[in-house]
Amino acid sequence: MRIPVEIKDNSTGELVQAHLFDAITVEHFTETHEEWRPIVRAAASKLAASTTAANIDIPGHFHWDWRRKEGQLNLLAIHFYGIEHLGKLQGMMKLESVGHVCRLPAQQGKPLIYIDYFEVAPWNVKQIMAPLGKPTKYSSVGTRLFEAAVRLSIEEGFKGRVALHSLSASERFYLEVCKMTPVGRDSGKQNLLWCEFTPEQAQNFIKD
Amino acid sequence: MADQTKRTMTLNLTEAEMSVLEELSAQKELSKTALIRQALRLFQLVDARLARGEKILFEDEKKKAKAELVFL
Repeated sequence: MRIPVEIKDNSTGELVQAHLFDAITVEHFTETHEEWRPIVRAAASKLAASTTAANIDIPGHFHWDWRRKEGQLNLLAIHFYGIEHLGKLQGMMKLESVGHVCRLPAQQGKPLIYIDYFEVAPWNVKQIMAPLGKPTKYSSVGTRLFEAAVRLSIEEGFKGRVALHSLSASERFYLEVCKMTPVGRDSGKQNLLWCEFTPEQAQNFIKD
Repeated sequence: MADQTKRTMTLNLTEAEMSVLEELSAQKELSKTALIRQALRLFQLVDARLARGEKILFEDEKKKAKAELVFL
């Protein structure tokens, strides 16, 4: 699967065509390690050294290593998606279609798509580029990835039900931009916030 | 998974198997096809983890009992 999607070039304010694709390879994992991680680490160090930044501002994924997921590339229950523009990976996520169920009382026990890892290239994230004194390159990459998760949920027959454990620094995106429902902190998962989408929320998100 | 081309097959089930499939489909609000696909994914995932030397355990918190599931 490789389909065109629109993201915004922040230098011109114009929409540009990128591609959403699912043929993720180990080379993409290496790309994130060599091109993304040093920038995320630099921002995290800068924020940790700052006296004004709160802990919540420090990116919680500075230690992520996508290369460790190479063994999951051929599993049917695991789905990787990326967004590419001008030959560069702009965002990537890992979804799981088995092993997780809804926790909201209204849909408890129903199957869903679980967003296990979700990362937008650091040069597209304001919280990362601001401490480095640089502007962001593209907007809407996270939204396009999130849409793909909702569409997979619909294709799988899960009616758009999606859930994830949000890192502190990403809660605002999931709650305010995606409008997910915060269900509660999960003591079994570093006290991260479990957020969930109902079929109605999914439909509204896709419509918008 | 890059290749999304779908292929068709006929699945012959016994009455008992079909009734379990129907019951689970209704319970999970999934079509029968979606449920079979879920089962296949789960089977492959579990098989891969067992091949890595991991175990599947069922835990009964009330009875404080754990039982290992032996897989094919």
